[in-house]
Amino acid sequence: MPVIPHCQHPVAPADPGTGRSNRSRRIGLLAVLLGAGLLAGCGGGSDQGPVKLSGGVPVGAVLALTGNANVYGQNQKTGLELALAEINGSGGINGTPVALTLEDGGSDEASASSAFTLQIRRGVLALIGPTLSQQAFAADPIAQRLGVPVVAPSNTATGIPQLGSFISRVSAQSSVIAPLSISRALQLNPAIRRAAVFYANDDAYSTAETTIFQKALTDQGLKPVTVQRTQLNDQDFQTQITAALQQKPDLIVMSLQAVDGGNMIRQLRELGYKGMIVVGNGMNTPNIYPICQKYCDGILIAQAYSPELSTPANNVFLKRFKASGESAAPPQLTAQAYTALQVISEALRRLDKHSPLRSTPLAEARKGLMKELLAGTYQTPLGEIRFTPEGEVIQKQFYVAQVRMNPDGRSGRFALLP
Amino acid sequence: MSDLLQLLFNGLSVGAVYALFALGYTLVFSVLGVINFSHGAVFTLGGYFTYLLIGGAVGANGLLAHAQLPFALPFWLALPLAGFGSATMALLIERLAFRPLRQRQADPLLALISSLGAGVIIVNLIQLLVGAESYSIPTTALGHLPAAITIGGAQVRSVQLLLLAISVVLLVLLTAWLEGSRNGRGLQAVSEDPVTARLLGIDSDGMIRLAFGLSGFLAGVAGGLVGLSISIAGPYFGIGYGLKGLGVLVLGGLGSVPGAMLGGLIIGLAEACVPADWSGYKDAVSYGFLFLVLLLRPQGLLGKALPTKV
Repeated sequence: MPVIPHCQHPVAPADPGTGRSNRSRRIGLLAVLLGAGLLAGCGGGSDQGPVKLSGGVPVGAVLALTGNANVYGQNQKTGLELALAEINGSGGINGTPVALTLEDGGSDEASASSAFTLQIRRGVLALIGPTLSQQAFAADPIAQRLGVPVVAPSNTATGIPQLGSFISRVSAQSSVIAPLSISRALQLNPAIRRAAVFYANDDAYSTAETTIFQKALTDQGLKPVTVQRTQLNDQDFQTQITAALQQKPDLIVMSLQAVDGGNMIRQLRELGYKGMIVVGNGMNTPNIYPICQKYCDGILIAQAYSPELSTPANNVFLKRFKASGESAAPPQLTAQAYTALQVISEALRRLDKHSPLRSTPLAEARKGLMKELLAGTYQTPLGEIRFTPEGEVIQKQFYVAQVRMNPDGRSGRFALLP
Repeated sequence: MSDLLQLLFNGLSVGAVYALFALGYTLVFSVLGVINFSHGAVFTLGGYFTYLLIGGAVGANGLLAHAQLPFALPFWLALPLAGFGSATMALLIERLAFRPLRQRQADPLLALISSLGAGVIIVNLIQLLVGAESYSIPTTALGHLPAAITIGGAQVRSVQLLLLAISVVLLVLLTAWLEGSRNGRGLQAVSEDPVTARLLGIDSDGMIRLAFGLSGFLAGVAGGLVGLSISIAGPYFGIGYGLKGLGVLVLGGLGSVPGAMLGGLIIGLAEACVPADWSGYKDAVSYGFLFLVLLLRPQGLLGKALPTKV
């Protein structure tokens, strides 16, 4: 049963006989307007009726289209648009098109939670999002409470599927991917002896990933010589960098969001750091190129997607991506968002075959969808994937790439390392 | 010794931006007694104006997607022009969000809210027009300047030094103008008492417009400099500076120009003094310091204690 705000008619008594009557009337008017807004927001939202299919099969997405994380959200939006075209072009959900509604979840927890609530009240069958792990820890419990399946396309922090039985993800967690880039860095330069670590101590993704990175370093016999903490949305790292460089590191490992990390790489190089840089999943977007510019060249990153994977599913995705007018290779975030909508659609097709959506109550359809989602095996651009009963993705292949910048210093590519 | 110098450079370069930012707040506060909450948005605009004037192209989102000016100015010219563009916006804000309320002698609190509204509208307009993506001013904008230089063993990015130098020059010029020019003294007179100033023949409204114009110019230049030093991290990137600028304004003393400068530099240095391993908590330290100062000196470092009016 969804939690619908208890709506009350506002009472704004007048205050005749005092000199404050005008002010009271204004306050009263404001209260009435506020009340009208609340009443307008109180409509709809029941999950006892059948699934509303008049506009198509309702699926919602909440992505960071504004704020600092918009650099991820824009890539993800492209992925969803490509998947939607592919799914509806091949018959939708057994003849009914998917109706995808996209809501901006901003880059903070409150915006993502509001967007989740709004989408759920619209009666969506499943949700894709939110973009950041930090947002997921706030927004996912809302979907869990209301029994709405969530497929996270980019949350890599530890503990996301464990938020509840309705929460799953197609983005492999940091503990699986992150150590690969450390091993690769040491293969490329076995002389590395001194590692410095940077992370944002107020960001769930960063703190989760740095733990994995630091363990991977220690396992390789490289106890970090310094661990520097930053704050989310910090852009000036002169203090941390000069302190770290005093330790003379020859490897820098950072878990930061894209804009922050891009700025840190630029400042590190400007301040004379010449060693290797390993970055985490937060920088897995070509949108870092305009920020660190020529200084992005050479950074190492582990990835859950490679455009060079030659499978029928990835070929279809690549074809769609190129047809959309994009000249570069699709980034991981685009492929993961595409995958998220693909797995939901395939699960919906199976569900609709044995429990037709048009005659199933919304709450029951959501439960059935979650069950189907976890039971399936999917051929996706990421390769073959399936889920653990907990909702964690099981993916077979991962990659390590190195950024190669073009001579213009503004564009580049993630070149897969052999 | 080099560690101390490094700390000084780290703190002063950040503090100078805070000071420049807070000066804009101060100028408006001194004449109107109201905090102009749209100041962060004007600062943001300065960053975008600079980026566009040096020939930067709009990204793939927004109504102006892929648009680009038909010319590209050198950074040195683009920066003051961006300042003038921001000053124009600040004057527009004064005309639309402050003057109508002032003419009706509305509660100053309302002007605070209307300025907040103006700021939100500007930020959303930026997003509508040029999208929410990040932009950065190319590292080549400074020509052949080296990326960093070493002074007494301390490593400093050239752009940080430039930022510090321009901020100091602007702060000195502003102080000299306030103290030594007729308009500067007029502005101070209006900030002391607008009614008496008007009786003495000073155009109070003109002085208020001047304060807004100057405040917008400083914000625009600061936005362009920060855009060069780091990047323009989307339409909201002025919000963080806005909050820090407020802290500086209060620490220095509301309405005090030297106070804003001192406050900015102190907050910058306080942040730089946080041990690097704990720099993730630098905001907590700087605001904690602000809290302590206010406990001891509620009027701020250089602010005047207000007499109780009956």
